[in-house]
Amino acid sequence: MTIQEKYKARVKELLSTGAVKMVIGYKPGSTAERRRPLFMRSPEEADQLVLDTACIANLAGYLVAEGLLSDDKRVGIFLKPDGIRSINILAAEAQLNIDQIVVLGFDIDGQEVNALEGESAGDFSALIESIKDHAPEAPRNPLIEQIEQMNPIQRFDFWQTEFSRCIKCYACRQACPMCYCRRCIVDSNQPQWINTSSHTLGNLEWNIIRAFHLSGRCVGCGNCDRACPVNIPLRLINARMGQEVLGAFDHFAGMSETQEPVLASFKKDDSETFIL
Amino acid sequence: MAKIGVFICHCGENIASKVDCNKLATSIGEHPGVAVALDYKYFCSDPGQERLKKAIKENNLTGVVVAACSPMMHEATFRKACAEAGLNPYLCEIANIREQCSWVHTDYDMATQKAMEITRSMVEKVKRNNKLQPIEVPVTRRALVIGGGIAGIQAALDIANAGQQVVLVEREPSLGGHMAQLSETFPTLDCSQCIMTPRMVEASQHPNIRLLTYAEIESVDGYIGNFQVRIRMKARYVDMSTCTGCGDCITKCPTKKISSEFDCGMGKRTAIYTPFAQSVPNIPVIDKASCTYFKNGKCKVCMKSCELNSINFDMQDEFIDLDFGAIVVATGFQVQDNSVYGEYGYGKYKDVINGLQFERLASASGPTSGKILRPSDGKEPENIVFIQCAGSRDCSKGVRYCSKICCMYTAKHSMLYAHKVHGGIAQIFYMDIRAAGKGYDEFTRRAIEEDKAAYFRGRVSKVWQENGKLMVRGVDTLLGKPVVIAADMVVLATAMVPQPDAKDFAKTIGIGYDEYGFFNEAHLKLRPVESSTAGVFLAGACQSPKDIPDSVAQASASASKVLALFSKDKLEREPVVASNNETTCAGCWGCVLACPYNAIEKKDILDRSGKVIKRVASVNPGLCQGCGTCVTFCRSNSLDLAGFTEKQIFAEVMAL
Repeated sequence: MTIQEKYKARVKELLSTGAVKMVIGYKPGSTAERRRPLFMRSPEEADQLVLDTACIANLAGYLVAEGLLSDDKRVGIFLKPDGIRSINILAAEAQLNIDQIVVLGFDIDGQEVNALEGESAGDFSALIESIKDHAPEAPRNPLIEQIEQMNPIQRFDFWQTEFSRCIKCYACRQACPMCYCRRCIVDSNQPQWINTSSHTLGNLEWNIIRAFHLSGRCVGCGNCDRACPVNIPLRLINARMGQEVLGAFDHFAGMSETQEPVLASFKKDDSETFIL
Repeated sequence: MAKIGVFICHCGENIASKVDCNKLATSIGEHPGVAVALDYKYFCSDPGQERLKKAIKENNLTGVVVAACSPMMHEATFRKACAEAGLNPYLCEIANIREQCSWVHTDYDMATQKAMEITRSMVEKVKRNNKLQPIEVPVTRRALVIGGGIAGIQAALDIANAGQQVVLVEREPSLGGHMAQLSETFPTLDCSQCIMTPRMVEASQHPNIRLLTYAEIESVDGYIGNFQVRIRMKARYVDMSTCTGCGDCITKCPTKKISSEFDCGMGKRTAIYTPFAQSVPNIPVIDKASCTYFKNGKCKVCMKSCELNSINFDMQDEFIDLDFGAIVVATGFQVQDNSVYGEYGYGKYKDVINGLQFERLASASGPTSGKILRPSDGKEPENIVFIQCAGSRDCSKGVRYCSKICCMYTAKHSMLYAHKVHGGIAQIFYMDIRAAGKGYDEFTRRAIEEDKAAYFRGRVSKVWQENGKLMVRGVDTLLGKPVVIAADMVVLATAMVPQPDAKDFAKTIGIGYDEYGFFNEAHLKLRPVESSTAGVFLAGACQSPKDIPDSVAQASASASKVLALFSKDKLEREPVVASNNETTCAGCWGCVLACPYNAIEKKDILDRSGKVIKRVASVNPGLCQGCGTCVTFCRSNSLDLAGFTEKQIFAEVMAL
């Protein structure tokens, strides 16, 4: 039995026994490389389920849809390790109750899809721990190396050129599981901190704010990259921020549901006294 | 329509020499919304304030900007003047064109231009200011004094004598601190314990003082007027309510060879002990780490010897939670570990000791009953070399600062030695003699002239042992010659350093400290006894090296600050507090964690049937200190700070 069939049977079992009210997974998309989210409420709907190497989108963001979890019923969701880290952060930030989530874990290794053992987010803590430990030697995007070779002026020019294409569609925000605020700072116009129009300053402001709001929270799922209609390599900024936070505070986003947000927590043995 | 008054102060020449105040007044007068712009030599003077008040009334002003010195100086002055003229004081803002402009620039035209920008920015802010009302908070009239040395005792007595309640916390088994260890004190040579112990007794018997010894501060929450403090009462293993302090247990204790902390390792104590004969309270404690019973499970000799059954090996640490209105920190100092000076042989040669150890040798209550005897063989030393600045004023191995007391106590040591050992020769290596204090220079002269102390201006490079003598190689820079002295004893005037846990302690109660760990005062000159945290005051050597008169003076100063605080029923607090927009709050609780004052709580928003719709953050204005940390953290921009709202800050920035 392929992993897809195995998981299809599992979804049907979950839905038919009423263990969950819904399972969020993948179905075929417009091309062979694309997948769409699938919201299964009955065992029959599970027939459309697809699970293959094209299922790379992080579905965690759908869990914070208004009202979905307010009835205290459980929801199943297909997640890769990055997605599991996402729901840990969402739980740590009080956006969901982790006990309501049934994780259908999988991992993509080259051309293979492997099932991950476990059902609740906590079952994967050893796996996430090992990802953290291997984070420094994990293969990095070659573009990061290239950008790091640049001097500050070249780097600024690089990003300015990239951001000049931004059309302020906020698709990156909509795709990001961490952007759950009901009112985003860009929608606040009293005062209007960030220019709404798509010009150099406004684009820079938006993307820098986003980088800071995601520092210590981004799991590098790449939803923003893929959502961007003008192909700005947004993930690189957040990856770099993640690297800084890991180096400075030994903070790896999404380790557990109780992990304190890095920019809001204060340790007594912190060598900096300014926060007093 | 805004009617803003702008008042530009010349501050004599302080501002006017670099900023064209007249031109500034003319051009800001044309800015939209500015009804009147005046410049004047000193707006903080009485006639200056009268001009401001008159202008408010005549022009019906809706806001005031005073372009002058830092708001740290005169914000309160001008806000009060506005209130007297009928304007809400929070509609008055200061544009700092002195510290941030005239004082730091040299170009007249450019400084004028910058002053214009600063003032315009503040005008735009003030247009968006709101009328605010001060917040009143109650005051708990009870003071916490931390540290039972001379500073802590003095502060506690002063507060208690004024009729207020004090809790005095000391972490050692007895009150006394370092002063109880000293022999005689400079510049009068009166016995330290003779003047100290009456104060200790007075503090312990005072009806307004609750004494908690062998106790430590576990946590401090709250704010000025309303601190909540948890105190850990360490287990003494002796019941304080029944023990009479007869001392039978101490005599019987079989573990007798423990190095005595009070005697700086020069004497021995038992496992159940009081630090010294006049301990207050005179109730022993069991040193768990050394006690045979705690180590082997057998012994209990003390328990058997106690007729009152006061010994209880099952005793546990206990916690006391108390509310306080003010805190005096008087946690004292330690002496530096001299083993960093390998070349002086401290720790290697028994007869090289530090100044505090010499105090114990010279003290009547010390291990030699006041006789100056060499630790190695108990012989009377024929000469002693004293090395000053052993640690102080030494960037490479010690500390950069001057420990302030060593010049005086070394002079005193040389005198005590001369008085106790007739014919004994005291030779002192020094860098400078710092004897600034009442009677201090006379005292050092006395050491030199009457008691024949020999002073060598120079440093010592090495101490080594040869034929039973300590060879001291130094230099006499006044003669320009090297000196080698064969000494019977060497005394190092060790640097005063902060308590080893001073930084952790500062973090526990939330006060600042310097690079060494001495606690920071709010202002070195004008607020030397206040810490940076309102309601927490400093006394004694925990702030910087101090002698006894200075420590006592600062303790009394702290007490007067506490009493001023307690003289009011309610405290008025600045209404600069955060508030949350519950509609846009995403309930991520980042602010709850980020708030250093625990001022943000979670609040449930319910529908009509009582079901929780969402949970949001809610700021308690009584606890909020207006630091703004939550505002900067909030990703959805739901939090805002009164007096510094996003709208105001944005307008300020945009006006530049």
